[in-house]
Amino acid sequence: MRRVALPLIAVVLVAGVLAVQVAAGGGHYVPLRPANPCTPRPVPPIPVQLEPLAEQIVLLGLDEAACRLGVSRERLVLALAETRTLNPQTTAALKAGLGDAVDRLDREGRLPKVSQLLPQALDQANLPGIVKTIIEAIPGSVVDSLLPTAPLLRRTVDELDINRLLHELNDPRQLDSALQSAILQAALRQILDRLRP
Amino acid sequence: MSADRSHQPAKPPAARTAAVAVLSVAVAVVLGDSGVVTLALPEILRDFGAQVWGVAWVLIAFNLVLALAAVPAARACVRGNPATATAGGLVGFAAATTVCSVAPSLGVLIAARAAQAVGGALVIVGSLELLVAATGAERAGARRWATAGVVGAALGPVVGGLLTSAFSWRAIFVVQIPTVLLALPAAIALRGQVARRASQLDTSPDRPHVLANLALALLSAALTAALFLLVLLLVDGWSNSPAVAAVAVTAVPVAALAAGPVFRGLRAGTRSEAVAGSVLIAGGLIGLALLPGAELVWTLAPQALIGLGLGLSVDSLTAAALRDRIPRALHGGWTIAARHAGVVVGLAILTPIFTADLHHAQTPAEEAIASLVLDAPLPASTKLDLAEQLGRRLSAERGRVPDLRPAFKTLRLPATQAPAAAALERGLEDQLKRAATRAFRTAFLVAAGLALLALGPALALRDRRRS
Repeated sequence: MRRVALPLIAVVLVAGVLAVQVAAGGGHYVPLRPANPCTPRPVPPIPVQLEPLAEQIVLLGLDEAACRLGVSRERLVLALAETRTLNPQTTAALKAGLGDAVDRLDREGRLPKVSQLLPQALDQANLPGIVKTIIEAIPGSVVDSLLPTAPLLRRTVDELDINRLLHELNDPRQLDSALQSAILQAALRQILDRLRP
Repeated sequence: MSADRSHQPAKPPAARTAAVAVLSVAVAVVLGDSGVVTLALPEILRDFGAQVWGVAWVLIAFNLVLALAAVPAARACVRGNPATATAGGLVGFAAATTVCSVAPSLGVLIAARAAQAVGGALVIVGSLELLVAATGAERAGARRWATAGVVGAALGPVVGGLLTSAFSWRAIFVVQIPTVLLALPAAIALRGQVARRASQLDTSPDRPHVLANLALALLSAALTAALFLLVLLLVDGWSNSPAVAAVAVTAVPVAALAAGPVFRGLRAGTRSEAVAGSVLIAGGLIGLALLPGAELVWTLAPQALIGLGLGLSVDSLTAAALRDRIPRALHGGWTIAARHAGVVVGLAILTPIFTADLHHAQTPAEEAIASLVLDAPLPASTKLDLAEQLGRRLSAERGRVPDLRPAFKTLRLPATQAPAAAALERGLEDQLKRAATRAFRTAFLVAAGLALLALGPALALRDRRRS
């Protein structure tokens, strides 16, 4: 009996310790696994401001692009950080992903009106004062009629030079400039389209 | 062979007690040297600007040479006077340790560590005979010798870590010099009592106890993970200071010392103790592989299991390897050779596993970091700035667990964003700890496998209850 008592005590002690550890999550203490990019994430409330809106479109767009490319959103982001010149397939996936993100927010009624964003956009825009004054004088209803948000954002995505944006990621001024340029171009084209008979 | 070869020491009890104490300390110091530099390796690496593989040889050289020198040193003890061999070993060990303490380069340090092991081999095997002579009883002396070795091996990383934190890695060696030399008068004083005996010279030596030595080698290989990899996890993986890590890993020696009083009352026998010890060591290592968090408290119970197993098995296996075998020093040499060959094999098997796993842990860690940064409730511009800083930290420390705190220190944030940034910093540190802990898992499981392999020879042991 004594011969088996000690090994039995050892087995009981080991089982007790391992049971406590497994019950406390032992074996599952691993790094966060990236979510499946093809499973839509819940979208948090978006403040009516340019930066949070742009960020949400980018985050959703990255998911959509990663899903198209068959990688995780995180792997795609890390790859973008390492490779600043993209192949056409990745560029196309990113543009399509951003477009899908705009469509989703539009479907869910999460896009603010352009008139709501305009004051902040003008504040940040590098435009002559007189131009800003003229634009501010335009009634909001007219702005929203000429520039519906979703089509404007889709055009902006089309105008984006993804490779240039990636190069400017570490320079906020250049990044803002590239984005403003794309938005302005998109807005002009959209207005012209609306004004054309 | 005869079972009882008692000596009748002429020394008064106080002198005998003192001799036993200083010789035990010398054995513990020499065997503690096996892992004493574990926590000092990062500092040695910085001091010499060396490569990781080069610094690892500070650890490997000692164990490898000790494994190779133990049996020849034992033969020298058998042919000559063990007291003379021990005294010579003490002087040689102290001289080599002095060189270690002032080593101007990594090459000199490694060479001095090898010389330390040669002197140490003489000290260990010679001390076995001296402890038997000083205690006046073979089994009591052998048990004292085995226990000193277990305590030394278990305390080595702890003491090394504390000395490195308090002073520098050189202090590890400075402290050892007077400590081992304390045993020199005892060795000289016992010279007359351990003179060559005709019985040891005229009879052919007994064959080594293969099963006990094999089990010792396998358990020592497994214990490499507990004594070396755990401190690496605590310091490099979880960013604890060497002093904190040293205090945390005292659970192993404390439990090893408690094993005797706790379990010996059962008088279960050598085989049962060896089997139970192997199970406890394997279980403790599995526990380290299944840690539920990066808090030090989670390592305590697995360490306690390992310590109890170490105290039970190494002690009883050493006793089994020595029992009724002559020459005693030679068989003591075989146990030391087996244990340190096991340490070298353990390092050779486990180091590539955890190094590769640490490398492979980078991708999931980077993805987890990217995920947290992307979803952090911070403005996009702040995230971009932070991502750039984090990328630099990750690139700069490839192959090691990076310190991300500097990336946050460079951020200029308004007060409203500070809580979110602090939460993100904590989250990222948690992800790194998770990745590091995961990276050590396979090595701990393989080590547990080695401990379970020791069950084979342990079960095949002839069971004899301890007297």
